[in-house]
Amino acid sequence: MAYPTATTEIIGLWTGWVLMLMIYSYPLYKENPVYRFAEHLYIAVMLAVNLVVNFSNVMRICIRPLMGGNITLIVPLILGIMIYAMLIPEYRWVSRYPIAIMVGAGFGLGIRGSIGPNIQDAIVSTITRPTDGGTMAWINFLYIAVGLICSVLYFLLTYEHSGALQAPTRLGRLFIMVALGAYFGNTVLFRFTMLTGRAQFFLQVLKLIPM
Amino acid sequence: MSFSLANIDRRVFYWILFIALMVPFLNPIGFPIKIAENTRDLYEGITGDSVEPGDVWIINFGYGVSAWPECHPGVTVCAKALLREGAHIILMGPHTDVELTYKHLLDTAKEDFDAATYGEDYVFLGYITGYESAIAQLASNMRSVYPTDHFNTPLDDIPMMQDVNTWHDVSGVLSSDTGDWGGYFLTQWQEPYGVPMAQIGIAMLGSTGIPRWLAGNYFGMSVGSRGGAELEMLIDEPGDAIIAMDSISVSHLLIVIAVILANIGLLLERGRGS
Amino acid sequence: MSQMLKREVVYAITGIVTVVMFLEYFFFLESQAWAEMIRTWTIIIYNISLGLGAVRLVMAHTMRVQRRRENWAFSGILLAGLAIMLLTGLAGYFMTGQQTNNAIYNWLFNWVYTPLGATLYPITGFYIFSAAYRAFRARNIDAALMLIAGCFVILSNAPVGEAIWVHFATIGEWFRFNGQVPGMRTFALVGTLGMIAYGFRALLGKERGFYAGGEE
Repeated sequence: MAYPTATTEIIGLWTGWVLMLMIYSYPLYKENPVYRFAEHLYIAVMLAVNLVVNFSNVMRICIRPLMGGNITLIVPLILGIMIYAMLIPEYRWVSRYPIAIMVGAGFGLGIRGSIGPNIQDAIVSTITRPTDGGTMAWINFLYIAVGLICSVLYFLLTYEHSGALQAPTRLGRLFIMVALGAYFGNTVLFRFTMLTGRAQFFLQVLKLIPM
Repeated sequence: MSFSLANIDRRVFYWILFIALMVPFLNPIGFPIKIAENTRDLYEGITGDSVEPGDVWIINFGYGVSAWPECHPGVTVCAKALLREGAHIILMGPHTDVELTYKHLLDTAKEDFDAATYGEDYVFLGYITGYESAIAQLASNMRSVYPTDHFNTPLDDIPMMQDVNTWHDVSGVLSSDTGDWGGYFLTQWQEPYGVPMAQIGIAMLGSTGIPRWLAGNYFGMSVGSRGGAELEMLIDEPGDAIIAMDSISVSHLLIVIAVILANIGLLLERGRGS
Repeated sequence: MSQMLKREVVYAITGIVTVVMFLEYFFFLESQAWAEMIRTWTIIIYNISLGLGAVRLVMAHTMRVQRRRENWAFSGILLAGLAIMLLTGLAGYFMTGQQTNNAIYNWLFNWVYTPLGATLYPITGFYIFSAAYRAFRARNIDAALMLIAGCFVILSNAPVGEAIWVHFATIGEWFRFNGQVPGMRTFALVGTLGMIAYGFRALLGKERGFYAGGEE
């Protein structure tokens, strides 16, 4: 995006810049009314956007097809409205019906789809021996295989982790810590990239760097 | 030493971080960027012989405005690459601000989208919700999830969508997301139907996604802004990700220094204790 | 009868829908119309239900304003902002079919929502930094391994790592492509097994936490 030239856009750009500083007044200074104002404003606009977008989507996928002749869509419309019975204590049980459908669909789709990639493919990939790469490839293969077995044993909670289980579960815990460390390393990249984006925006609005 | 560090007001360190992030933008350093195998696989999966003109690809904007720096550079490169191969792109997303992301893509890949025709080369279907049910239904019958595109044009009136309605008609999926939506495409498109799929996710999804790439579930994977920078190098068009890499380098170095100092302090404390 | 409507019928519906999804996947090559219908209904129910959180929030903040609770003025700002954006968005939608065609809504969407949304989440970056020097200490072998892996991945993600010492990138890459794989595969595997177990418990009526309360 080039630096805007229209007056409303320039005002908008600087409004965004000021709002950003309002939010950052909390970590960089202390909690204050300015931060609270910006925080509540964000909740307001986010809520409004959610409502408007979801309303327009309901119109698109339900109301207009219903008006166009697809009468069966009256059922999910009624079921969706039944969810709001949650707000009335004596009729809260009515909301269980649409929830039951959502939960059932979620379980059915989730379970049927997860077994392949999360269990089957993971195990097959772990036990498939390397075809190239030399000694290091075999070391990695053994590392992953032993690591997976020990880590899964760590989550076996039916038996106490003692006796024959003590060593492999302890080893499994170490493999898990390595994974968590790598996850932490990736988390740092994610969080700091977002922060970098804001630092860049700070300078762009001041025209210290090109937009 | 750690006692002294802990005594310093944390706001001092926040200011140091915030200012340190800005300096590399004013004085770029230009560290070289090595391209990872997973990113190269992703790029090769969307260019050259892997894509035929007329192939239909889905790009899922599974990220909101806060994750633009992480995900958007990679998506920009992938969209450019697909358009240049003559592929048709379906753009969609589960965030309520997906329209903003779409407009941002039109801006960041301006030349390619200006040369393309809406409705023939790309289409923006808009917002989707319903989690796994929606993605599963998208594979079975797109028109039940999207009777129209985002601009209320019936899909039957859109040239590129006339023969596209199920997973059969889609050549691949690129999911760029911050959470679960890539996983839904994995379980409802890739696993049952074998639709080729790649992830252009945030860095944290690199941890969960790399094992999937190794297992063959993803044909490629771009990890966060680093992956975006690598893709920009592969397409030879520096963009937002490469520009941000210096600043990210500084911040990462600061974190490692902070961890090292904290642990030196721990060792000194233990030494004093014993 | 009343109890059956509130409990057993609910579990039956959940079970039937789950079985429908299983049957479609395991016994048919292509998707089936009856399963598609249920999925379409689920999508519509999800869309409609997303307003519930907004309703609760509005009720809570309205009560704060009415009863002049602490910081009630901010609740007033929230309600006013919500009203303005909601009304302008709906006006744009009903008049032109696109909410962003309303100038006020579009301006707020671009210049208030975007910077605020992009600014709030990165605050955690500051907290990670302060946690790094305060809490990330290798007190035992587990923590040491975690920190070593983390630091190498951090230095391989950032180009500066390779610039300082070329093997930072090599070792970091090993952690990313091999080191973390057993643990991450374990989480996925165990998580899926847990989800299956939890799902069957829910189908059998043993897990009632998500059935919204109300009297049994």
